[in-house]
Amino acid sequence: MRQRKIAAMSQSAPPPILSVAPTRALVDETLRVRVDNLPPRAPVTLRCEHRSEDKDYWEAYGHYVSDAAGAVSVADDLSLGGTYCGREAMGLLWSMRPVPGSRTGLRLRKRNVRTPMLFTISVFAGHVDRDFDGRPPLARELVERWYAAPGVRRVEVEDRGVRGTLFIPSGPGPFPGLLDMWGGGGGLLEYRSALLASHGYVSLALEYFAPGELASTDLEFQYFETAFDLVRRHPAVLPDRVGIFGLSMGAMVAISLASESARVEPACCVCISGSHFFPRDQPLSQISQPNARNVGKIRLDDQQNLIWRDLGLPVSGDLSRKADVRRINCPLLLVNGQDDQNHPTVEYAEDIERMMRSAGKEHLLTRLEYPDTGHLIEPPYSPHFRATNFMWDSKKARVTLLWGGQTKAHSDAQEDSWHKILAFLQRHLYSAPRPKARM
Amino acid sequence: MGVCNFRNTKHTGFSTVKYPGRLLQVLRISFTDKSDTHPQISSDVEIIFFKILIYSKHLEQAIAGEYFCGEGRPSIMFRTRVAVFWHFIGKHLTPHVGLRRELYWSHNAVAIRRKTGSTLVPVLTAAPTRGLVDEQIGIKADFLPPRHPVTLCAQMRSEDGDLWEAFGHYNTSADGTVEVTRDHSVGGSYLGCEPMGLFWAMQPAPGEREGLRLRMRNVKIPLIVNISLSEGHVSPREPESGRLAVATAERWFTAPGVQRIDVRQNGVVGTLFLPPGPGSFPAVLDLWGMGGGLVEYRSSMLASRGFASFSVAYMEHKDLTVQLDISGADAYMKKAFHILQDHPQICGDRIGIIGLSYGVYLGLRMATSPDLNPSCLVCINGPAGSNKELSQVFCKPKTSESDQRYWPRDEAGYLSFRDMSLPANYSPGTQVKIENLACPTMYILGEDDQNSPSTENSNLIEDVLKAAGKSHLYTRLSYPGAGHLIEVPYTPHARLSVWRIKPEKILSLWGGETAPHAAAQEDSWKKMLHFLDTNLRA
Repeated sequence: MRQRKIAAMSQSAPPPILSVAPTRALVDETLRVRVDNLPPRAPVTLRCEHRSEDKDYWEAYGHYVSDAAGAVSVADDLSLGGTYCGREAMGLLWSMRPVPGSRTGLRLRKRNVRTPMLFTISVFAGHVDRDFDGRPPLARELVERWYAAPGVRRVEVEDRGVRGTLFIPSGPGPFPGLLDMWGGGGGLLEYRSALLASHGYVSLALEYFAPGELASTDLEFQYFETAFDLVRRHPAVLPDRVGIFGLSMGAMVAISLASESARVEPACCVCISGSHFFPRDQPLSQISQPNARNVGKIRLDDQQNLIWRDLGLPVSGDLSRKADVRRINCPLLLVNGQDDQNHPTVEYAEDIERMMRSAGKEHLLTRLEYPDTGHLIEPPYSPHFRATNFMWDSKKARVTLLWGGQTKAHSDAQEDSWHKILAFLQRHLYSAPRPKARM
Repeated sequence: MGVCNFRNTKHTGFSTVKYPGRLLQVLRISFTDKSDTHPQISSDVEIIFFKILIYSKHLEQAIAGEYFCGEGRPSIMFRTRVAVFWHFIGKHLTPHVGLRRELYWSHNAVAIRRKTGSTLVPVLTAAPTRGLVDEQIGIKADFLPPRHPVTLCAQMRSEDGDLWEAFGHYNTSADGTVEVTRDHSVGGSYLGCEPMGLFWAMQPAPGEREGLRLRMRNVKIPLIVNISLSEGHVSPREPESGRLAVATAERWFTAPGVQRIDVRQNGVVGTLFLPPGPGSFPAVLDLWGMGGGLVEYRSSMLASRGFASFSVAYMEHKDLTVQLDISGADAYMKKAFHILQDHPQICGDRIGIIGLSYGVYLGLRMATSPDLNPSCLVCINGPAGSNKELSQVFCKPKTSESDQRYWPRDEAGYLSFRDMSLPANYSPGTQVKIENLACPTMYILGEDDQNSPSTENSNLIEDVLKAAGKSHLYTRLSYPGAGHLIEVPYTPHARLSVWRIKPEKILSLWGGETAPHAAAQEDSWKKMLHFLDTNLRA
């Protein structure tokens, strides 16, 4: 029996070799995928699969043809079909979407940052579009992608009413700090803060209301000032090098703190898909969310996704409803998508620039705007979500919001903006010496 | 509560119980530090202390004053309770305490930075932060003053808690950077441009137990290495207050997706590592020396490089049911080889053998046996024959009292197989029929092997093959300054280590000088992988 088995095997060619590097990396690092030992000019499919914490399956795949030497290199070769086309070194990650048959409106967000995301990369013979589970792959590799670098410490914070999670880079420090805020979805998402700490910033992922409670929250502006102060006074933080990082509602809070707060002086601000509304004498829930006055402006697209974009238009000239951005004294980076269907962020950015120019402060402002890019500009290589489920008010039914963006352009924007964001933070929080004016 | 007592009592000497002592010292400093600079620390530590007290009654007694008052050495009961204490500390407090200890010193790091007039924040990066043990890792320091002396130091704790460390003295370039791939170490554990010096030059820190050897038992977890950047040309013993930055790296013995399978089949005891994927894979049988037991880390690394690898135990393992003699060993190895051949995910005609030390002899016997046909053979510092004494060592009964008499020693008292493995001393009939070798064979030789006469043995194999017209099968890699244990690259070198502790301590002199030995590990591993690739994959 053994002889027969050996005879059978020695006739077959050695199996293809799939090599993926690095097998353990941070989520914003690039991945090199290649296949060798294939027959020449052979059609193959490369597939990447991930099982999320919510037990949904996500996949991406590309159709390739091996070269004369029997090799495929994702970074160099063209994908002829699948979830992405063309020469896309990271296409197997950013083009991921839920497998056919999954629940709708899903969003991929890691909750536990102490473990990696696991991706299975396989190569199949032929150009395959479906039923991947029903056929055996030629080869398979497993990849770990981490949000937290080794040595990053995670500390749960509950102090003076402020709730969140603090991530501290490895080492004695002290380090520059960041207050990191997400949007109106609520809850506590730690992954971006973990990633920022992996790049050398003490980062506080702030929780400010539970999902679905925005409409009913009684959050005050002071909460954010206290949170910033908490970061600034932390022993591992350099007090004059603390910035603010926000997306959507978080960006709005960032701009408000930078312009209107007497207590808070950020060293710089990164605002993704933000607005410059300010809850002057109003609860936060009334700002930038549908309320009784403007709910009529909500539109629906052909898939019944809600478009909130028009709620913010036209941009109000009334200074009492906006943060006075003329008073900002720190570098400000605005990152927006031109296809943002949730907020008219490009129009807001134009208004912010107008106001800052009128005060002679336009040199502090940097605007990044990306075509065909939606509202949710996340760390690079994360999948693109054009429309997802959103819990706006836990008392009402769950809605699906349209965020916008076309996958390829949006993914390019995520990759490009992240590099620019890190360079911006490094310039203003790491390498900039603090000039001490002598009066 | 116990907390109040703690604040008021004297701190007696805990030098014999290192970690809890240091921890308690930090906590004590936090408690008695009445300044307002760190109000955060005291209150947080108090909360944590409370939690620990709730969790353990023993802890409460320990801290409440039983061991803090009075002089004298800590008793056995104290040590036990401290062990329990430490277990809970590890579980609940360490994440916070690590921070606190560093917070305490970070205050001083800022002071130093102010003193040097630098407003820049030095940054230390390591890439990749998570890599396999045989991968290079680039370490770079940035935002330092130009032409400034700094020290890079790497430290890690083994599974047994021993501290290993290495350091290098560097001078920053004109742009205020240090890069280990570009710059030269001018002092410390290694000299010159050595990108991986911080890893291969690691030695047990002063004060650690003597005769240590790094052998990873659990290959599923990484070694965690803390690389630090310090002011000036200092030793690792300098206080942590001089630390400017730290980067942490994980060094893994297993790639993601590699499967580890316990094999207890037909009396064969071993661990099989399979690469991820359906297969079919080329495979190697991985044999170690007379240390016995099951050594898995080379197999896990080979599986991480695409080869199914079967590490087999043949002596001194609790699951071995019979004591093997040499013909028993032949039958045993044949069974092990067939386990690989019969495995559905392994390519039956692409199986090689790797042997270190006595494993070379067993490997040669398999490769010259008419029943087996391995595709290639790798020999590392081992004999081609045996004699009565060596057989006695191999076949000795397992009981530990008689253990002692069988280990051969040299005049200095070190374990040595030098005499009994010399070709001139082979017993008739024990020499392997080298002329029957039919597969490519690579011999990796450490010229400074103080444990076995590897040069003489490799010469013998070469001569016999030449006489049989089979020189084309033989490759010898000969490394001056390398010792007996040529292992996975960038792992520390042990010139000497403890072989047995009971009933009497025996040391083994392996030989080799650290720098050339490290070069041998790096070069031979690369060449061995290429050799396996050529013979098992093409």
